[in-house]
Amino acid sequence: MQNLSIPASARTPAVDFDFGKNHLKLSGESYPEDVTEFYHSVFSALDTYLAALGAGHCRFDFELIYINSSSAKAIMMLMDKLDAAAAKGATVDVYWFYDEKDDTMQELGEEFGEDLENAKFHLEKMPG
Amino acid sequence: MHARELFDIRNALRKQEIIFAYSGPVTETVLSGVGEAIKQKLVIDDADTKTLRSVFAVFVEQMQNMIRYSAEKVPIGDTESPFNEIMRYGILTIGREGDGYVIHAGNLVSHSDVERLRERLSKIRSMNKEELRAVRKERLRGDPEEGSKGAGLGLMEIARRASKPIEFDFSDVDDEHAFFTLKAAV
Repeated sequence: MQNLSIPASARTPAVDFDFGKNHLKLSGESYPEDVTEFYHSVFSALDTYLAALGAGHCRFDFELIYINSSSAKAIMMLMDKLDAAAAKGATVDVYWFYDEKDDTMQELGEEFGEDLENAKFHLEKMPG
Repeated sequence: MHARELFDIRNALRKQEIIFAYSGPVTETVLSGVGEAIKQKLVIDDADTKTLRSVFAVFVEQMQNMIRYSAEKVPIGDTESPFNEIMRYGILTIGREGDGYVIHAGNLVSHSDVERLRERLSKIRSMNKEELRAVRKERLRGDPEEGSKGAGLGLMEIARRASKPIEFDFSDVDDEHAFFTLKAAV
């Protein structure tokens, strides 16, 4: 399927879903004017991809600097989708990269990670 | 005459160590523009990364709460149109307090909403970081409370980013409205 690539804007993160390589990434800041509108295309592309993943392997990288409270809900929904795919047999690795200068984002990663029952969660410092 | 009056307002703000003040219509466009200015100002101030992000995070939630809930509002454009938008008003200041910053937001609320808001804020104020974390997670999973477009989460995000318990106050304005303020130190 076609890759999904959305460049970052001031208030929305960069989306880099390379479905061919089974490597998906969301990076930057997220406090969109309309969260539902922004994440709609992200969710639908991910749903299509995960439905066809079967027992395949997928890696999802979160490299977020800042997210507002309504984006947190969208991120949780992304995590749920990844976990559901893993429950159905896929091997899913979720990486949460945090800036070590801001432990709030580290804590947030821990909170999301606790809820993953089937996907494998990795919490790591952002390089550099 | 004008210079004197405006200068007095400026001095009153300075006396309270306010480094930034906005009063007027609160919109997403204002949030974007003012947000960028605040980031730049904090970089010039040499604020550390965590402080900068926390001030910014509190600012975003405070602005979005006012954009969604301020009871001082005017319709924009065609009042007959079902797509008619509403512009709301509020005031937001950022000041220095000790080594940190304090973000203060104020807007009108209906008297009928005061008790519910007071109850919700008192609850958040009384929670420690662990309790806040647990309730926040629960709320993230659940449906928003009635009459809330997600404010529960926004208020909790403010409390989580704050270095001290959040403070709030209400002051009667007229038969219908009270002025509500929410203060968070970072």
